[in-house]
Amino acid sequence: MLLIESYLTFIHNHLIVCLAVFVTVIPLFLILYRKANVDPSFNLLLIYLVTKLIIDLIMFHYATQRTNNLIYYNLSIPVRYALLSGMFYFKIESGSYKKGIIYSIIGFSVFTIWDVFYSNPDIKDLHNHSMVAYATTVECLLMLFWILVYFYEVIRMLKIPNILTFPFFWVCSGLLLYYSSFIFIAPILHYTEKWENPLYIGFLNLVPYIFETLCLIFFSIGVWIFSTRYYAKQ
Amino acid sequence: MQNSDGLTWAILIATLAMLMMAFFVILFVMFYQKRQLHQEKKLHEIEKDYQRLLLDTALNSEETERRRIAQDLHDDIGTMLSLTKLSLNQLSKLVTESGIKEDQIMRKSQALVEETILHVRRITRDLVPTTLERFGLSAAIEEFINKLENSKNLKISFISNTEEAPRQSQKTELTIYRITQELVNNSIKHSQCSKIEINLHINSKIIELQVTDNGIGFDPDALRNNNLTGLGLLGIESRLAIVDGTINYEKPKMGGSKAFAIVPVVPATDSKPEPLHPFRRQRATI
Ligand SMILES: Nc1ncnc2c1ncn2[C@@H]1O[C@H](COP(=O)(O)OP(=O)(O)O)[C@@H](O)[C@H]1O
Ligand SMILES: [Mg+2]
Repeated sequence: MLLIESYLTFIHNHLIVCLAVFVTVIPLFLILYRKANVDPSFNLLLIYLVTKLIIDLIMFHYATQRTNNLIYYNLSIPVRYALLSGMFYFKIESGSYKKGIIYSIIGFSVFTIWDVFYSNPDIKDLHNHSMVAYATTVECLLMLFWILVYFYEVIRMLKIPNILTFPFFWVCSGLLLYYSSFIFIAPILHYTEKWENPLYIGFLNLVPYIFETLCLIFFSIGVWIFSTRYYAKQ
Repeated sequence: MQNSDGLTWAILIATLAMLMMAFFVILFVMFYQKRQLHQEKKLHEIEKDYQRLLLDTALNSEETERRRIAQDLHDDIGTMLSLTKLSLNQLSKLVTESGIKEDQIMRKSQALVEETILHVRRITRDLVPTTLERFGLSAAIEEFINKLENSKNLKISFISNTEEAPRQSQKTELTIYRITQELVNNSIKHSQCSKIEINLHINSKIIELQVTDNGIGFDPDALRNNNLTGLGLLGIESRLAIVDGTINYEKPKMGGSKAFAIVPVVPATDSKPEPLHPFRRQRATI
């Protein structure tokens, strides 16, 4: 009873943050409903949404208990990058970029682990665990790069008759908006998300959550216009 | 606790700028893609039109050339042959008195000239489908069949409703006629059939032509894939492309082959080709 009450108070106080968690269900459900996971990219998106939901719910739980949950966030960064850039692996056609994606996933995972240790000199102290310093920024840059590469290929190859009815365009646009909004906020999260002596940036803190929700809505649109028949034709 | 209004503002502005850029990238991709596709489509159409024009010209000049050859054959060689026949007739009167042997040679020459005249006439008629121009499709096809049906072991049947339908444009009629000719010729040449059935059906929108034989049959896809299509089948396709028609080949279960061509009806225009022989002379005397 107490638990539910604390959940409800947290939702009440952090409505926008919680929205970004719960809206995840919409594209998740739509992918299964539309059977969009026959496409390997959307399959990865499905896996991403599932892991995001699980991690978000865990973080949500710890947040209501006023326990430091940043370790989960730090762990989710390489997973998130691997799954999202993996989607581009199946969509980008040029072989060298494909190889680049694979290497970047490996390199980025190593980098994130290094960053976790770098930002937390005392790794055992979970209570004062803090956010990675550089990994999120690097993730933003890499993802923006792949998105632009994909758009460039779309323009060059002229294979898509109507881009507004092309599912992955929506997914890509959502990601582009999300990472664009995040790229300047990511470097300072390390200083704001701190247990002691945090930096206050006011409502800016909410911007990533707002755009995360927007991005999830874009995913939903993309999945909604996905049709198996169209995929088979490609 | 730290406070940093300046930093917040800077980040806010940077984020807004970044978002605006993202927004413009998305818009750019959308519009550029659309414009590019539109242009490509236009280019494609122009190319297609041009191809069609080329084909049309080629086929037109082929028909014109045939017409010219037929005209020359008829006017020059035909006239000469007629004169030769006349002279021979006169000569034969003189020769009959001189002996049996000479008389025999004389008769033989006369028969040869006679036959040559017939041949020339046949060739000119084959070159230019005069019957088609004057009496229409079914008359022309019937004439064509009659010429072929000499052999006993080939039966050609022709069913049509063109008598009720109005005449088609000259180009369409010629297309249908030439296609029928080629399909029937193919059946005779390649399929070892004993029966050919031609069905011609015209309504207000389309013309349907069906040529069925009971021979060995063939697989058009295999032909196309192996580059075995002869000039005949290709010619059919290019003729049809000009009048927006289509052709399909089927393999009926009973064996043999079946060709099914569809051509849309276009309202006939009055621009008849220059008619052969009799009309030309009339015009010349005016
Ligand atoms: N009615 C038919 N029955 C059997 N085979 C046919 C028939 N029509 C066409 N074919 C096959 O298709 C080939 C291509 O025909 P065509 O393009 O008219 O060229 P051509 O008559 O000059 O050989 C022929 O060589 C023949 O093998
Ligand atoms: Mg042939």
